Amino acid sequence: MMGRVTLRNLAAHKIRLVLTAVAVILGVAFVAGTLIFTDTMNGRFDQLFDKIGKDVAVQVRGTALGEGTDDQGEKERGPVPAALLAKVAAVPGVKNATGNVTGYAALVGRDGKIVGDEGQGAPQLGINYTPGALTAIVSGRAPAAGGEIAIGDAMAKKTGYQAGDRARVVTTSGVQPVTIVGVMDSGDMMGATTVAFDTATAQRLMLKPGYFTDITARSTGVPEDVLRARVARVLPAGTEAITGTAMRAESKDAIASFMGFFRALLLSFALVSIFVGAFIIFNTFSMLVAQRTRELALLRAIGAARAQVTRAVLGEALAVGVVGSTLGIAAGAGLAALLQGLIGSGGGLTVTATPIWVSYLVGVLVTVVSAYFPARRAAKIPPVAAMRDDVALPQRSLRVRVAAGALLTLAGAALIALGLGGDGGNPAAIVGAGAFGVFLGVTLLAPVISVPVVKVLGWPFTKLFGATGRLARQNALRNPRRTAATAAALMIGLALVTAVDVLGSSMRASVGAQIDQQFGADYTVSGTGGGGVSPADAKRVAAVPGVRNTVPVYVGKALFGTAKGNSSYIAGDVAALARAARLDMISGSARAGADGVLLDKKTAEKRGVAVGGTLTAAFADHSTVPLRVSGIYEKSDFLGGIIAPAKVYLAHADKPVVDTLVIDAGGATKAKTAALKNAVKDNPALKVQDKQAVKDQVNGQVDQFVNFLTILLVMSIVIAAVGVVNTLALSVTERTREIGLLRAIGISRLQLRRMIRVESIVIAVFGALLGMGIGVAFGAALQNALADDGLDVLAIPGGTLAIYLAIAAAIGVLAALWPAWRAGRMDVLKAISTE
Amino acid sequence: MTNTAPPTADAQPAPGADDVAASAHRIAKVYGRGDAQVIALDAVTVDIPRGRFTAVMGPSGSGKSTLMHCMAGLDSVDSGEVYIGGTDLTKLKDKQLTRLRRDKVGFVFQAFNLVPTLTALENITLPMDIAGRKPDREWLDRVVDTVGLRPRLSHRPTELSGGQQQRVACARALASRPEIIFADEPTGNLDSRSGAEVLTFLRDSVTEMGQTIVMVTHDPNAAAYADQVLFLTDGRIVDTMQRPTAERVLERMKGFELPGAMAR
Repeated sequence: MMGRVTLRNLAAHKIRLVLTAVAVILGVAFVAGTLIFTDTMNGRFDQLFDKIGKDVAVQVRGTALGEGTDDQGEKERGPVPAALLAKVAAVPGVKNATGNVTGYAALVGRDGKIVGDEGQGAPQLGINYTPGALTAIVSGRAPAAGGEIAIGDAMAKKTGYQAGDRARVVTTSGVQPVTIVGVMDSGDMMGATTVAFDTATAQRLMLKPGYFTDITARSTGVPEDVLRARVARVLPAGTEAITGTAMRAESKDAIASFMGFFRALLLSFALVSIFVGAFIIFNTFSMLVAQRTRELALLRAIGAARAQVTRAVLGEALAVGVVGSTLGIAAGAGLAALLQGLIGSGGGLTVTATPIWVSYLVGVLVTVVSAYFPARRAAKIPPVAAMRDDVALPQRSLRVRVAAGALLTLAGAALIALGLGGDGGNPAAIVGAGAFGVFLGVTLLAPVISVPVVKVLGWPFTKLFGATGRLARQNALRNPRRTAATAAALMIGLALVTAVDVLGSSMRASVGAQIDQQFGADYTVSGTGGGGVSPADAKRVAAVPGVRNTVPVYVGKALFGTAKGNSSYIAGDVAALARAARLDMISGSARAGADGVLLDKKTAEKRGVAVGGTLTAAFADHSTVPLRVSGIYEKSDFLGGIIAPAKVYLAHADKPVVDTLVIDAGGATKAKTAALKNAVKDNPALKVQDKQAVKDQVNGQVDQFVNFLTILLVMSIVIAAVGVVNTLALSVTERTREIGLLRAIGISRLQLRRMIRVESIVIAVFGALLGMGIGVAFGAALQNALADDGLDVLAIPGGTLAIYLAIAAAIGVLAALWPAWRAGRMDVLKAISTE
Repeated sequence: MTNTAPPTADAQPAPGADDVAASAHRIAKVYGRGDAQVIALDAVTVDIPRGRFTAVMGPSGSGKSTLMHCMAGLDSVDSGEVYIGGTDLTKLKDKQLTRLRRDKVGFVFQAFNLVPTLTALENITLPMDIAGRKPDREWLDRVVDTVGLRPRLSHRPTELSGGQQQRVACARALASRPEIIFADEPTGNLDSRSGAEVLTFLRDSVTEMGQTIVMVTHDPNAAAYADQVLFLTDGRIVDTMQRPTAERVLERMKGFELPGAMAR
């Protein structure tokens, strides 16, 4: 059977296949890790929501504002009157009806920082104490009066707080001095923290006296949908009842949809890794086939059919794919466990069948498909090649390749343009497909590009190392297809990293320019995490010497005009805000009056209103107000699309929260900054920023974004580096005879290793240059497409690109280490006499 | 391509069809184009008698290897017909040609005869393995014993000497009882003793087992093992010799070596 030939070949080329398998393992690990991690997280959240909503049969809540959701996928709901609790409790079949208050309350730790605020997006929850699964007291007692709280056990462990300790809690009503009277059995809340007050205090601090966020009830045994219907009959307008199952499902769906987005993001980067891996696999099998031309021709001569030769090669690929996928899945599980540990969540992984079979499918399919073309070429080896010395695989003309490459590149570029233009159904998919096309196209073109570029890149080495340098350059030029395919693998990763960097530096430059242009205030003081600036904080800020004026800015949500979902709007002293944000008025005036509203151009067009027209606003308290459009302004990056007077917000907010305080201090100085920071030092959730601090914050966010994406792309660069090692190792084997000859006529080991190293550097730098070229083009295209959304400055990070070039050269040096060592170790006589 | 060669060979009387294992009829093969054009075979017609050992000789570039490749179905011809056991190879598609090579033809090459990752025995049975056939144990034993390789059957090619490797190749060619065996300079890489062993073995397989063998060689000593020798120059058969000896072959070769070389 040919199966034996396959198996023996696998055994004979272990190292090469191991390197190939590494490409599969890394790609599959990425896929499996992503799937397992998101599955695990989903599972943990499901458990959490099941625990939170345990035994709840019916939930009563305010009806949602509008039918749809806002741009964050959320619905806005008003609170329910506390008087409703008695009515619900009286419904037959209802047991343990409970009024709940949920809001923002952040515990300040012993280090003066907010507990659980590590930027992972988990909320700091404040609740009213009610007996339940999460609130069972494990030590101390339940909070009973103002100034008393209970905290979760995980928080207690983290902070070292115990029942009886004094602490501070940041709420929307300012910083509260409290005594911790109890610790609750909340367990792992996926990073969220819980502070429980007694009900009256919770209402006062976080909501509105006489109201609950929602009411939940258990059932005496009545089916929940029956109970829901009974409860619904006693509810007033503006409230609704849902079953416990529906309530839990909503929470789960919200997390699942976020996880789905996160998963899609990670998978798209995994796809890049796999795409790069496919190049490596293709290249390795091409070289293995080329090296075994005579052997395969012999098989053909003695009667193996073409299909049998193809199958023998594909069999090897299949084995590599299966083994690589298996190890990749294991590595992926490790990766998921690592990630889980990193975000501080314990409790084991959720491994379902889906990640396993998807990983196998991806790993095996990619390996086999990548090896298919080399396998087909293997089958085309004429049997007569077994008897010729000058064997060469049939090569198709480069002319066809260049034409196809140019066509693919252009088609890819056109797709990208189409996708970025926003036409078509799924822009991200269209742009992705376009990038895919460009990569393939440039790869096809790369052999032609490589010849002049490699000549130039190799030139300094020929001057530096003489004959060794010339040999190295010639070696890199010898098989342009192979050089190109190896470089292309590196190209992809670097192209994407470069595009991200171009995007990042353009963001920094654009936002920097916007801040310079639009940030007209001396300082802003704003709350993080939802607490806002309390009246007490505002008073302290206003008292700082030099502060001339403070303008509170509110952020509200309302349903404007005929929109389905609610929108955020900014409220405050409209004229002062317009000054502070240096609004560019197109028509009308920034003097809005009591019922006026300012819109930006885009919003006005979308809502179809002009200056003097009316825009109705519906609020979560079920009231509707007509607002008069008094002015229209050019896009503002700070104030968004809708600005209303403070009165509009204050009249409809349950618990008004000042999001930001805009401060006029007659110019920013160090002393004023220090004085302001000192004034709010009691509240660690507040930050004082001048223009530079806002810039720094934006830059920090951009850096975080760039770093995150770069880390995701590093995997593909590692895979490409493995590919360079593989190519060089195979080239060395292929040139055994020649290397023997060079050694025989007196080239030293050192020179030989240098020769291989230089070849490696030249290939790696060529790949990097290709990638950076494409990356800059991609980045510029993205910037151009986003110019209207505020990304109006294109900045190319020259320094970063120079560093990448140096890194590419370093990858070249590292990749050459092992192949060069092997070449140097070859026995001269044996090398010459090798077949 | 001038003088010297009396074009008698092309007009050789064909033996009766039953006695012919393979034949070529006016086959031609040209490599390259324009100035680089090389006529490798120039309307060659030849019959390979069944059960006999035929040597093909000629100077380098005479087309002897091309003739063999074309007759064995390894290479295509530009015109003419090639028959093995009554089948016209030029009419076959790749699949049928592969099957024919597998079932009816055995090969021994100058070098790289064996799959390096398989043992000697696995190499011998490879053609049958490829075909999915069980080897005839009795016949296989006989072949293995004749080649004298029994103790080394489980060795890989790299663990065998050059002569042993060629004997394994011969055994592989014989094992599937092909209609005809083509050997391309089978002793080209061997020292004279190993070469003699291989040639003796080939000779014996013709005498004792009735095998048909065609061997390309440039070594008069090797040709002397054959029943007849065909001489090729410039893509044409220029002479044949029955019951050759090394001296007579050498003598004949001298006659056209120089002019042939100059014509290139």
